Amino acid sequence: MSGTQDTQGLVPAAQALSRRPSLEELRERKDRTRRHLEPTGDVMTISMGPQHPSMHGVYRAVLDLDGEVILAVRPEIGNLHRGVEKLCEHRTYHQIIPLTDRLDYISGFAMNHGFCEAAEKLMGVEVPARGRYIRTMTHELCRISNHILWLGTSIMDLGTQTFFTICFRDREYVLDLFEMLTGARMTHSFARIGGVAKDLPDGFDHRCRKVIDFLPKRLAEYERIIKQNRIFLKRAKNVGIFTSEDCHAWRVTGPTLRAAGIARDLRKDEPYAAYPEVEFDVAVEYNADVYDRFLVRMKEMRESCKIIRQCLDKMPPGPFLAPDAAHSLPMKKNVLRDSAAMIQDFYQVFRGPQVPRGSVYRCVEAPKGEMGVYIRSEGGAKPARVRFSTPSFYHGQAVPALVEGEMVADMIAIFASVDVVLGDCDR
Amino acid sequence: MNEGLDTSLTVVLAKLEKRFGGRLRKQTECCGDLTITVEPEDWMRVLSFCRSARELAFDQLDCLLGDHLPERTGAPFEVVVHLLSHTHGHRLRVTTPLAEGQDLPTITGLWPSAGFDEREAWEMYGIVFAGHPDLRRLLTTEDFEGFPMRKDFPLRGTVGGRIRTDLRGKI
Repeated sequence: MSGTQDTQGLVPAAQALSRRPSLEELRERKDRTRRHLEPTGDVMTISMGPQHPSMHGVYRAVLDLDGEVILAVRPEIGNLHRGVEKLCEHRTYHQIIPLTDRLDYISGFAMNHGFCEAAEKLMGVEVPARGRYIRTMTHELCRISNHILWLGTSIMDLGTQTFFTICFRDREYVLDLFEMLTGARMTHSFARIGGVAKDLPDGFDHRCRKVIDFLPKRLAEYERIIKQNRIFLKRAKNVGIFTSEDCHAWRVTGPTLRAAGIARDLRKDEPYAAYPEVEFDVAVEYNADVYDRFLVRMKEMRESCKIIRQCLDKMPPGPFLAPDAAHSLPMKKNVLRDSAAMIQDFYQVFRGPQVPRGSVYRCVEAPKGEMGVYIRSEGGAKPARVRFSTPSFYHGQAVPALVEGEMVADMIAIFASVDVVLGDCDR
Repeated sequence: MNEGLDTSLTVVLAKLEKRFGGRLRKQTECCGDLTITVEPEDWMRVLSFCRSARELAFDQLDCLLGDHLPERTGAPFEVVVHLLSHTHGHRLRVTTPLAEGQDLPTITGLWPSAGFDEREAWEMYGIVFAGHPDLRRLLTTEDFEGFPMRKDFPLRGTVGGRIRTDLRGKI
């Protein structure tokens, strides 16, 4: 243990925050915290998952252990494979939207949004301002609900049962907002090509403001509970260090990358929706360990509240769906009143959008990391190939690099900290 | 053709053209994305150049995927990679056409994150990545027959749906 640590083997919080270790220092720290054992005759192979409660779904890791030290990990995924990409090739663009939010069912709207951004890029559809603001707001609500769920489950993995229920209680407020806005609590299918499905309902503004006024107070409370928890600190600080170069090599993105000191956020770097028009900070931490990933997500939730408030303040009037008869559905309320809208509705539902040939790739910053969508179109209403390069797929793949040389008990903390959802991983 | 490109992508294209000249099959530009098609023999050379050249510096592989175009009889398969540079912030798409049964060198040595992607491309399309450390089925079961993402594979399958007990201890 070096001189930066106190008698308990911990870096004091204030000191850790003020310091920004260089890449070399992080590499050295990573090397020091991992045990480099040669496999001897005493290797025990155990299967962790697919039903293990800490695996957040049906992830299976086959561990080679020497005592409690992990020598090698072989991840096995695919238990939740539903062939979404194959299904996409047999559906029109509008029909794909409900498939996408079954990918990462914790943050369904982010997946809808990613697909719609890609399809709009291919079709050249401009989303009207109100549509962009509603999308931005919903995406951020999604991020909050995702991070609160993550917080509850990951802390529960470290042994705190009560905290889980507290987090779920607060997540309900966000889910209630979703229910009011989209009619569904988790799989919203709310984005449409060219905008969103519905306008904001009456009274939504008021209720949403109440929630985002209340949440930061709750977050401060969570942070107080966790930051003073000696057990959590012991299990989170200097554990599972994953440097920025490892992140790039394994395509680990999102909060894990930002906890390694890289201020990369697609909302800033490749802006989409209304993100260029709102002000927010990118949450960055520098120690690249489990504790910093927690801090990054806590900061991100606060920033999300800020973004939602700005969206509500600036919410422009006007249409929320693009008036693009060739590619997008009409506003539902007009369909039974206006003959042109009715024709458009029939046309879009029965034939689908008429899309030019070409291929696009579009990435959005989903709560778990960068979610890319590749679409190749041969013209017509159905794509020829769709690929979702979802964050959890790559995070699940990076698990061996994350945990080899660590203890089995730490694997649970590390696996929880990268936030893998198996619907997202197996597609 | 290159009007919609960013300046940094123009630099990338110029650099690649200077290095590989006539060996690049075709460059297309769609909605601001730059796509470069290379021969399978040049796959490794072009990609390692993309990884190491300073002006390109593609340090992250965003995704690798297989594709099937049955109407292209000579080379019905395609492998597409999306590269991203954190240094310069630009993206590039590199594709290569493949004939049935033709294999491609693995790029797991350049970007380890290609491991799962290549396994998926193999199990879904039957594209073999030579030198891949662990080319097994990833998302489907071990005894799955056929390559499900090929266009001639039916959407509603007739296989599977059984619980296997004879694989116990083997996986």
